[in-house]
Amino acid sequence: MSSTGKEHIIKSYDGELTRLTGEIVRMGELSVSQLEAAIDVIDRRDERAAQRVVGNDDAIDQLEQEISHDVVRLLALRAPMAGDLRNVFAALRIAADIERIGDYAANVAKRSIPLSMVAPVAPTAGLGYLAELAATEVRDVLLAYRDQNAEKAYQVWKDDAELDDAYTGYFRQLLTYMMEDPRNITPCTHLLFMAKNIERIGDHATNIAENVWFQVTGEPLNKQRTKRDFTSNPELGKLGE
Amino acid sequence: MTDSALAVNTAQTMAAPLADTKITVRNLHFYYNGFHALKGINMDIPEKKVTAIIGPSGCGKSTLLRIFNRIYAIYPKLEAKGDIVLDGENILDPGYSMNRLRSKVGMVFQKPVPFPMTIFENVAYGIRHHEKLSKSDMEGRVEQALRSAALWDEVKDKLKQNALGLSGGQQQRLCIARAIALKPEVLLLDEPTSALDPIATSRIEQLVEELKSEFTIVIVTHNMQQAARCSDLTAFMYMGELIEFDNTEKIFTKPGKKQTEDYITGRFG
Repeated sequence: MSSTGKEHIIKSYDGELTRLTGEIVRMGELSVSQLEAAIDVIDRRDERAAQRVVGNDDAIDQLEQEISHDVVRLLALRAPMAGDLRNVFAALRIAADIERIGDYAANVAKRSIPLSMVAPVAPTAGLGYLAELAATEVRDVLLAYRDQNAEKAYQVWKDDAELDDAYTGYFRQLLTYMMEDPRNITPCTHLLFMAKNIERIGDHATNIAENVWFQVTGEPLNKQRTKRDFTSNPELGKLGE
Repeated sequence: MTDSALAVNTAQTMAAPLADTKITVRNLHFYYNGFHALKGINMDIPEKKVTAIIGPSGCGKSTLLRIFNRIYAIYPKLEAKGDIVLDGENILDPGYSMNRLRSKVGMVFQKPVPFPMTIFENVAYGIRHHEKLSKSDMEGRVEQALRSAALWDEVKDKLKQNALGLSGGQQQRLCIARAIALKPEVLLLDEPTSALDPIATSRIEQLVEELKSEFTIVIVTHNMQQAARCSDLTAFMYMGELIEFDNTEKIFTKPGKKQTEDYITGRFG
């Protein structure tokens, strides 16, 4: 990818940078598919499908290794400078974030297995909404990365507050269900972990947004972000008092 | 020195030099045989720092360096206009003594050219032109210069041997010793490692690092990694103009001008 609109004199250098961008985008798309598949297996209560999702995480890990290898190679052989250097540096960091997103998606799928072994609980449906918000964030930030659009990345970074709000609301809802009937505690605890995993996916999307911003502008994105995950607030625990 | 203070503003042709400036270049134009080689250069070169000048062949970087010690004056039909102020005095003023300038501004060239004489004499030769020293004082000065140029340990037992027997890297360090033996304040290095292997190059770069505590160093280099490694400030020149002059870190991570970025990332053409 060109940082100034011009091609390198050495054509293969352009090819290597384009390949790197392609690998990141592919890895990101794979992580979004994994998250969607994880939500799907919860609905279907399908243990084997869940295990397939868990197994598919290896492909994301493999891509991350390929990206690390390509980055080391580029640094050693091309000694990138300025925009190229930021491009390569951002790719390495973004790949690490996507790898974590993949792990969280696999975790959600893994927890769907014990969840499918107990009677269905009503709040399960709410998890899909959280996942939808997180998937949109990841998809949007990948587009921002592909198009080198700092403003779009910044929008994703801000929009994560919505996911935080939804997560706080869901947390509150699960607490209510657990207090209502102790038989809900097991499934709701699993749902709570799954929701937390999805909320963390949003945080990684914001990390990616920060890296896109840095890659494009050369400056850190140090605006103040509104964190709206209030689940650690002690007041929430007093819900039933 | 702040980023903004360093930024080049060609409009501010007569801006006051910064406090720690060693050389102030103002509105410098240079012509040879009618060709306008430098077009209104303005820059403040800070004291006891390494300033690198980069740019494609023919951009005027070596020309600029050669004006700093008026070496161009030995050729006819060359003309410099503008001001180069070294410690408050304009060195382009015809009244500025050439001898004084050469003792204040030392220069090392691309290809090491030792004199065809002994290692000792190579260093002592220039000193004799400027000072009368006793034999022991002269020996002390030569040793000091060779030590500063990180060459002493390699040549201390063969000072009477011909300098042409040294390796390329050693010859270049000898040339640096010869230049610093006169105790200059400014050291100009014109592609000092382009004829050297990577190990000899590293030695020169290490030397530059050590020498900057004593001298103001200006280095012209085609090797951008070298500029990135050993300079504090970098100037990018193109077609006789100073395009950008800023902290080296900024130039190589986030240059302000597109032309600079195209050049350092290998997109120039």
